[in-house]
Amino acid sequence: MRTPEKEGAKRAAAAGADPERWVEEHGDCLYRYALLRVRRPEIAEDLVQETFFAAVRTSSNFRGKSSERSWLCGILKNKVCDYFRKLGRETCFTDLEFLDDELSHKFVPQGFWNHEAGPLEWKPEAEVVMHRTEFWETFRDCLAKLPQRIADVFMLREMEEMETSQICEALNISPNNLWVMLHRARMALRECLEMNWFKEPQQEGHL
Amino acid sequence: MSGEYNPSPEDNPSFLARRNRFQTALVKFIGKRTPKCREVVRILSQSMDSKLSLTMRIKLRLHYLICAWCQRYEKQLHELRKIASSIPDHVDEFSQDTLSSTAKERIKEALRENLRG
Repeated sequence: MRTPEKEGAKRAAAAGADPERWVEEHGDCLYRYALLRVRRPEIAEDLVQETFFAAVRTSSNFRGKSSERSWLCGILKNKVCDYFRKLGRETCFTDLEFLDDELSHKFVPQGFWNHEAGPLEWKPEAEVVMHRTEFWETFRDCLAKLPQRIADVFMLREMEEMETSQICEALNISPNNLWVMLHRARMALRECLEMNWFKEPQQEGHL
Repeated sequence: MSGEYNPSPEDNPSFLARRNRFQTALVKFIGKRTPKCREVVRILSQSMDSKLSLTMRIKLRLHYLICAWCQRYEKQLHELRKIASSIPDHVDEFSQDTLSSTAKERIKEALRENLRG
């Protein structure tokens, strides 16, 4: 019997698509991206494999070699979103307590910033430091300190640029919960970047 | 603690500080009529996801006059967004993890299997 998959695979072969070469050329990049999102290596591997399968099925839609990687990345992004969709129905949220009191020393009881602990100026700006590998290491470490679910919503919103309504639907959470989680994520990341990057003069030198 | 808290001490980096009686009165006025910083940071986070009312936007502008910290906070939320949205371009710097060769082989094998049907 001829299934759509087999048809797709045949077309892929005919079009010169070479899935095994994809694994060699793009496997690591896709894996890093997946790992960044789902954190668990075994799940990241599965998502990469699913991505290649989907790529084989749809390779006839693909034109041009230059953007092969971004085409594959696009497929992977969808796989990651599907993964979170499934997960959203299975887990409940216990991370809302995160940071509730931890940052209270930042403010005086009247609700103003504690002037000793208020935000510093970021110099040089993020735009400049984004070219530095060390900066990304710091950012990754900061992200890793967030509770998983808080990091998930932050990444869906700020990296995947999903609309808040979509995130609520996908993860089955209320808009209010989402706002609280995003606020906590932003506050914690801002703080962590400031303490571990912008406060120290480590951006000097070898650019 | 003596007297009320000073939201804008003399040496602070805000546009308005309590450098004279007039400024002091203005700082107090604005401090009373705009949300407190703790609330402002919450509102600022929300403003990244939905549009604030005109009244609230005006209040924030006024608040910034006496509070350079909240103003920085807003700027940094936008920087944070810029950073996060450019992660996909920096995945290779973000981590050096690689697919293990066994995983690669397994995936290739699965693909071959799939192609054979």
